[in-house]
Amino acid sequence: MSEAPEVPADVLAVDVAERSVAMRVDAKAYPVDAIYGAAYIFLDRCWVLLDRPDGGHVRVTLAWKGDPAEGALHGAVDEFAEELVSCAWRAGLAKDTRALIEGATSKAHSGGEVGAGPSLDDLASYDFGGKALEDPLALAQSWEDKQKKETGPAPSNDKTEPSEPKEGA
Amino acid sequence: MQLVQLRKHLSPSFAMPFRHREVGGKVLVTSTEGDFLMLSKDEFAAFARGDVEKGSPLYGRLAERNFIRAEFDERRMIDRVRARKGFLSFGPNLHIMVVTLRCNETCVYCHASRADMTATQTDMSPDVADRTVDQIFTTTNPSITIEFQGGEPLVAFDTVKRVVARARERNKDAGKRLEFTMVSNLSLMDEEKLAWLVENKVQICTSVDGPQHLHDKQRKLVIRGEDGSAQAASAHAQAAKWIGRINKAYGEMGLDPTLYHVEALLTTTRDALPKWKEIVDTYVGLGCRALFLRPVDPFGFADKTAPRVEYPRREYMEFYRSAVDYMIQLNQQGVEILERFAAIFLTKILGGEDPNFLDVRSPCGAAIGQVAYNYDGKIFTCDEGRMLHEMGDDTFLIGEVAKAGDEGGDAAFRTRYRELMSHETVRALAIASNLDAQPDCVNCTYQPYCGVCPVHNHKTQGSIFGRMRESSLCAVHKGIQDYLFERIGTGGPDVLQVFQRWTTVRDRTHFLQTCAT
Repeated sequence: MSEAPEVPADVLAVDVAERSVAMRVDAKAYPVDAIYGAAYIFLDRCWVLLDRPDGGHVRVTLAWKGDPAEGALHGAVDEFAEELVSCAWRAGLAKDTRALIEGATSKAHSGGEVGAGPSLDDLASYDFGGKALEDPLALAQSWEDKQKKETGPAPSNDKTEPSEPKEGA
Repeated sequence: MQLVQLRKHLSPSFAMPFRHREVGGKVLVTSTEGDFLMLSKDEFAAFARGDVEKGSPLYGRLAERNFIRAEFDERRMIDRVRARKGFLSFGPNLHIMVVTLRCNETCVYCHASRADMTATQTDMSPDVADRTVDQIFTTTNPSITIEFQGGEPLVAFDTVKRVVARARERNKDAGKRLEFTMVSNLSLMDEEKLAWLVENKVQICTSVDGPQHLHDKQRKLVIRGEDGSAQAASAHAQAAKWIGRINKAYGEMGLDPTLYHVEALLTTTRDALPKWKEIVDTYVGLGCRALFLRPVDPFGFADKTAPRVEYPRREYMEFYRSAVDYMIQLNQQGVEILERFAAIFLTKILGGEDPNFLDVRSPCGAAIGQVAYNYDGKIFTCDEGRMLHEMGDDTFLIGEVAKAGDEGGDAAFRTRYRELMSHETVRALAIASNLDAQPDCVNCTYQPYCGVCPVHNHKTQGSIFGRMRESSLCAVHKGIQDYLFERIGTGGPDVLQVFQRWTTVRDRTHFLQTCAT
């Protein structure tokens, strides 16, 4: 048994054996998803065992599938520690920004077909006061507008008279 | 990078979620929406600490790509995610029809498990062909591509003609963007068939394994002499002859040869690995504008011939790098030839869009992007699922084409479509290929651009979820993206210009059937 002094003790407590390495991780300092993520990267090289030696720690044991190359065990400890810190840090960022990401992605997916039409944001700044699209049969006109055409201008106090579109409406 | 050394100084609030990876001496960072930056190690350390001065060039680069939380641009993220995931708004558009399993060539790696020419029981019957077309037209996708596969589709050419006629008839009411593609070894082509295919706007795709000696070694073609005796022939010579003839026919129609030409696919075997230059030169010589350096898959005959055709994926990556380096050189000399894998990834990386290549997207295209219809009417989630069926594994069988039933009309087909799309296997595959929820993939820097194949996972690892660290497909996808980002980071503007050109997609509108009706 020997230790791997290059990895700080506040990250990992390490026991290196002949063909395996066992690392104790503080379960309060590092979320379990980060521990899973860091352990996963060894699946191609090692048999990976996770257990809880006590309530406050998770122990990750990496046992080599073949003969480990010289320095491989200590290298694995470095690699695990690096990935553990990375996963834990990014898990924190993801947790803190979850509302932003979920809001944006749900809007992206609920917006319908790409290029199908303007979004609500686009419509907010759309100038509705501009020229109407060509509509010779007046299919797009309101009943009130059609009546106005056929009967002449409505009285100014007619409540059905459409108001002028407001800028930005 | 040594995040362990920085751990007490990592900023918990400066950045938006990202993933990172060391590539070519730099640190590649990618965002949820698929933006990327290549940072020096010092720049990455400053980013990690949140120690980037506002107004500095680095701050500007990070903010522009939505990596800084204080500068988060929601509109940009919505647009980027929508562009990348637009395919989710539709249903399956690629419909693969196996009109026969019979084939006149014997390929060492045949993924389709072809049948002998005497196996007429593997021909699609007219009734099944008609019902398959009716089933296809229930898709909710406004575009339909019917791809004729086999076996060799030219063996069942009458069925091909029948399907085209019925689909065109159905499309008079449906009004879809209808296209036809045929994957053929071309050795049974003749002028009459070619005239019909060209007149009916059926795109033609073939296989070229590289130079003649390699192609003919791997693809055995036997023809019958006038006296009925069997004689060996060159499969390569046949393919090359007809590629030239078809391209000439397109030219005679006034079609742009840079856009309209026979597409060819490579299946990379062990024998192909040292011949990367010969392979590229062969494709250029045949007038091809694209080369798809596909590794051999563990389906069909390739499963049995693996000791002869397979290889470690690190050797494939050496082959890939050499071949694409050479293709970049050729492009810089004015020769237009692109590598298809690179173009797919670069369209996502540089173009910010998804080209909807069904094998490399998240979730994958199994059933929700493509459907495979076997000669006997059985329906599979994808071509790979159908290949496994021929190997005795029905995991990806999701139904059979419907029959109109007593009431007639399309009701039975629409009901069957709903059953197919909501099939438990289809739902399982969508979950298994969603990279936002896969172990390892969720932490991978290439997650915004990548895709997994649950059928490949199932075949090679016994689980549709797979273990990516041991997946040969992951090794290829990761290796190719490592290479591309290395070249982006170090290749200079010349290489970037070539890569940008590879992402340019021009529609082949001539092949749209709606133009003819």
